[in-house]
Amino acid sequence: MEQAYYHDRNNTEALLFDIIRQHSTEQALTWIAQQQEKLGEPVSVQRFNLTFTAIPRFTGRQVISTDTPFIEVAPDMPFFIQGYTLDKLVRVWWLLQLPAADRELYVKVIEGLFDAADMNEQAALYSALPLLAWPDAWVFRTTEGVRSNIGPVQEAVMLHNVYPSRHLEEPAWNQLVMKAFFTDKPIHLIAGLDERANRQLAAILTDYAHERWAAGRKVHPLLWRLVGPFITEDNFADIQRVWHSEVNVERDAAALACASSTYGPAQALLAQSATLEAEVASHRLTWETVAARIA
Amino acid sequence: MERIKGMRFFDPHIHMTSRTTDDYQALADAGVVAIIEPAFWLGQPRTGVDTFRDYFNSLIGWERFRSSQFGIKHYCTIGLNSKEANNERLAEAVMEILPSFLYKEGVVGVGEIGFDDQTPAEEKYYRAQLELAKEAGLPVQIHTPHRDKKKGTQRSMDIALEHGLDPRMIIVDHNNEETVKEVLDRGFWAAFTIYPFTKMGNERMVEIVKQYGSERIMVNSAADWGISDPLAVPKTAALMHESGIDLNDIHLVTFRNAIAAFAQSGQIDEADFDTVKDIDQSLKFNGSTVLRGGQQPRIDKQSNIIR
Repeated sequence: MEQAYYHDRNNTEALLFDIIRQHSTEQALTWIAQQQEKLGEPVSVQRFNLTFTAIPRFTGRQVISTDTPFIEVAPDMPFFIQGYTLDKLVRVWWLLQLPAADRELYVKVIEGLFDAADMNEQAALYSALPLLAWPDAWVFRTTEGVRSNIGPVQEAVMLHNVYPSRHLEEPAWNQLVMKAFFTDKPIHLIAGLDERANRQLAAILTDYAHERWAAGRKVHPLLWRLVGPFITEDNFADIQRVWHSEVNVERDAAALACASSTYGPAQALLAQSATLEAEVASHRLTWETVAARIA
Repeated sequence: MERIKGMRFFDPHIHMTSRTTDDYQALADAGVVAIIEPAFWLGQPRTGVDTFRDYFNSLIGWERFRSSQFGIKHYCTIGLNSKEANNERLAEAVMEILPSFLYKEGVVGVGEIGFDDQTPAEEKYYRAQLELAKEAGLPVQIHTPHRDKKKGTQRSMDIALEHGLDPRMIIVDHNNEETVKEVLDRGFWAAFTIYPFTKMGNERMVEIVKQYGSERIMVNSAADWGISDPLAVPKTAALMHESGIDLNDIHLVTFRNAIAAFAQSGQIDEADFDTVKDIDQSLKFNGSTVLRGGQQPRIDKQSNIIR
């Protein structure tokens, strides 16, 4: 049989519950235990849904603080909980209480939660994508999250979430990144950003930059991070334009883009500035420092 | 706005369902005599076909009536929007009920349809709706994507031609400096949405009219649930006037061209723009009326410039 989870569910659950225990009142813990008991065997879907929605009333919405911004649920699979409120964390944990053996039922119940979710529930559900069972089942739902018009929901899908980069096909992935630029998200927090960079996305982003320039608008410097590895004679003029910008952070972005390119003229362009070349080489100038300056 | 007093305007793209009665009053005061409300996305996905049916019904029912109470003639276009075309199970169900709405009175086109993410599902339902438009002899109002716009616009036009539609029956919406030339060169109507921050500003629009003239160009507000300006059309007319654009050109891009394009549906009679002005506040739609009496038009002293 295909395995439902690609992480150790019991271990993940224990890690999450440790944090929940540290931040909860006795009263809240008692309520949670009662809900677990009432969930029953076989589970009552009504109880599962009711509890998912009711969680904030009994746990409160305080922001949790942890030693690390994420928990390691599998090798190379951090699950970010930084900035989580307690109710969101409990909701993610509660999702692990739904038995996953019956794939059809599991998917139906989770989809039902999505369909009726308010904004915070949606944010919790989308954030939990990497932990849900049957990972193949959530691809369309993920694209719906990207399509959302609600900032916190978009962020739950786009930022610090390893699910999209692992499961979306290239066009859907490109749409996620493009929409993140379009909605001014902190691009550097997209998991898998560099790994999933591709030629098609570079072309889409370059067209987008042209449109912004034609409208007299600024272009996000991190856009060039995704164009850098795909610099060719077709888009080199754009890199040169950014290189000659009056804005420091844009020049820095052009330098970093050139540094990530194997295109000869781009490398030659970077060599024109000994200062920038040295800063890139010594890692004093990185995409992270660029991101920090535009934040 | 003084400069354009007495001029009449037609906004061929505005989502009044998301707007208030204050907006209707302001539109009427600014000289907007008729509008088209395209069927679109309500800001979040619908989960069932019944909410689509109710929405389509409201466009030809309650919203049209609400508009008439402010002396504004309301038309609509009906379609399955590109975003929700991605939910294929639901999209299939919507396609079943869609055709009957296309033949309702005052439905002046199929719209707004086209591409959002440019997925295969979007293409499938775009094509299916082009066929419906062809059979019904209705103009098509094409929504072009915010992202990867240039390619999306080209692809929308290619596909429409592939289905044998006449470019004169197609209004390509949300153009910008990067798309306008090709749209006009290929014989389509080019609509421009004056919408703050994400689409066109009206200073840019003035430059476009200076460069491309007024043939087959129209402006709209696409005012909806986002930060938008229902007075975008009259404000743009005022700015054009201030910038020395000929009055006849202003008339074409803010009134006449849109009527010419959508009147190909056979559903626009300009005489109705006047008859709708005989506002009878005692009229009720299913027992409801919007006018409670004593409402004052909102006075908008803001700048005419929308960026």
